[in-house]
Amino acid sequence: MQARFAIGLAVLTVALAAAPAARAADPEFTLSIKDHRFEPAELQVPAGVKIRLIVKNLDATPSEFESNDLHREKVVSPGQQILVIVGPLDAGTYGFFDDFHQDTGQGKLIAK
Amino acid sequence: MIAVAIIVFREVLEASLIVSIVLAASKGVRGRGLWISAGIALGTLGACIVAGFAAEIAAAVAGMGQEVFNASILFAAVGMLGWHNVWMGRHGKEMAMEANALGRDVASGARPLYALALVVGIAVLREGSEVVLFLYGLAAAGGGGVVNMLGGGAIGLIGGAIVGSGLYLGLLRIPTRYLFSVTSWMILLLASGLASQGAAFLTQADMLPALGNDIWDTSWLLSEDSMLGRVLHILVGYVARPEGIQLVFWSATLIILLALMRWFSHAPPRAVARAAIILVLATLGFGFTRSAWADFTIHPPIVEYQEFEVEHNGSYTFDPNPANKHNETGTLELGYGFLPWWGSELEFAWSRTASDPPRRLDEVNFENTFQLADQGEYWLTPGVFAEIGKSARVGNADHVEVGPTLQKEWGETVHVLNLFFEHQFGPDNDAKNVDLNYAWQSLWTVSQHFQPGVEVFGDAGQLDQIPGIRDQELRAGPVTYGKVSFGQRLGELRYGVGYLFGLTHATEKGALKWNLEWEKVF
Repeated sequence: MQARFAIGLAVLTVALAAAPAARAADPEFTLSIKDHRFEPAELQVPAGVKIRLIVKNLDATPSEFESNDLHREKVVSPGQQILVIVGPLDAGTYGFFDDFHQDTGQGKLIAK
Repeated sequence: MIAVAIIVFREVLEASLIVSIVLAASKGVRGRGLWISAGIALGTLGACIVAGFAAEIAAAVAGMGQEVFNASILFAAVGMLGWHNVWMGRHGKEMAMEANALGRDVASGARPLYALALVVGIAVLREGSEVVLFLYGLAAAGGGGVVNMLGGGAIGLIGGAIVGSGLYLGLLRIPTRYLFSVTSWMILLLASGLASQGAAFLTQADMLPALGNDIWDTSWLLSEDSMLGRVLHILVGYVARPEGIQLVFWSATLIILLALMRWFSHAPPRAVARAAIILVLATLGFGFTRSAWADFTIHPPIVEYQEFEVEHNGSYTFDPNPANKHNETGTLELGYGFLPWWGSELEFAWSRTASDPPRRLDEVNFENTFQLADQGEYWLTPGVFAEIGKSARVGNADHVEVGPTLQKEWGETVHVLNLFFEHQFGPDNDAKNVDLNYAWQSLWTVSQHFQPGVEVFGDAGQLDQIPGIRDQELRAGPVTYGKVSFGQRLGELRYGVGYLFGLTHATEKGALKWNLEWEKVF
């Protein structure tokens, strides 16, 4: 009985192959948050490939990188940086914002 | 101050709705106030700790610690809510009777309470950590002063609590005999919504494929940022722009929890089956696109009554033509045999082509098999297969596929013929065509674990203008199936694998196909 269970579990594990993970070879871009603004406010990225976005918070207060278009939401602590993986994206414009400072923290990702 | 109040209100609202549902669901159970207050207190404490360690958490798991943490606690909450529903289904009636007896200690009532307290704690922790981080940020920046911050925070907190109380009081007006089943449904939908949120976090962590980014966009109709949108987001898991994987997790959670509740409850099978049918029909409202080709599956005319199954089918093609190389299809199916002669499956189908690399959710199909006679009753076992599929991609059509399926057992061998007629329809489809798809399978049962055989899949094209064989799709090749049984309690695992050779000019050179299935009778 145990042998059959073990075989079954092994088959299941092999079948559930690991999800694709963004490899370090994927293009990387950096966004900085300074004075509650994104720098650069417009970022051009390649379409059709996975992208690694490093968001650095240069302010003394927390911010939240959020985008409805990209389906991403992540808090960045002051002085820290976070990794946001997006894509592959279709060509187009994707807006993002700082949820904690929406009046000044607005930006666009342009995929070409 | 208003800006602060609004942000705090939004976060508090989500937690307070969950607390209200939990409170209403546990009405009458002794000691629940204490447990739920403990949950809130621990959640608040946890929120402060999480906020304090936000940077460390974010840096963990290759930079995806925040996502993995959020997804984990959300799935833990789903587990707790599911357990509560199953437990209440089993003991609910007993408890209602015992609670009325004087002096009787409802010791059994304490058990689901700690699960509920955990759910409350998790909800408060998740939302609370964002509030703490935000308020801390304000304080550090000296944003307008302490009054601004505390005042706004208090207003937001009270506002969120008021809405939650509104829901709670509204639920209390439901007569007790219905309250149990109403809150049971609310918890079911709440759990499905939380599961879909968890899936979104795992996608963000790049651990799950998104399967399509905006399956629909109803933000013009009801934005998730609006008050009603937020409330519905918690109560039923409404998402204005869902990713495909969110819909898969939402439906799967709903169906699996329903099945578990049925297994444990004393409810008549008909009631739950009816509920499952309604749910599945409601799921047809999703829009999905038609894939380039269907997956290679045989549909025998056999229904396994009261059997629940989770299945994955996939294929991977090989072709010298670079446009066809490494095209991949996959499905995830959830099925149940509702009647001895009728079984259904809800199928999510995705694909990925060499020219369009991301895996996209193509369609959601509702498949039905009708078994028209018992095996052995006639010379052939006849059945009908009927499928309706809704496309998930712009420019692709919805479809209906119907046709007979016949099976013949001959000694140690089994043979199946599928003859299906497919009609595509939808706003983007102008052709009034009916397509003929056929398939054949012959298997030799050497043992339970090993059934080798042959399969053939063909697409003859449109009936009114069937092209020569060269331009039809036809593929055939060896396959093998088998199953491992873990007994009645754990169900059985079935596997299948095969390689199909393309036999005509219009068919891909080769395709590897596989399937893995878990089934259990409930």
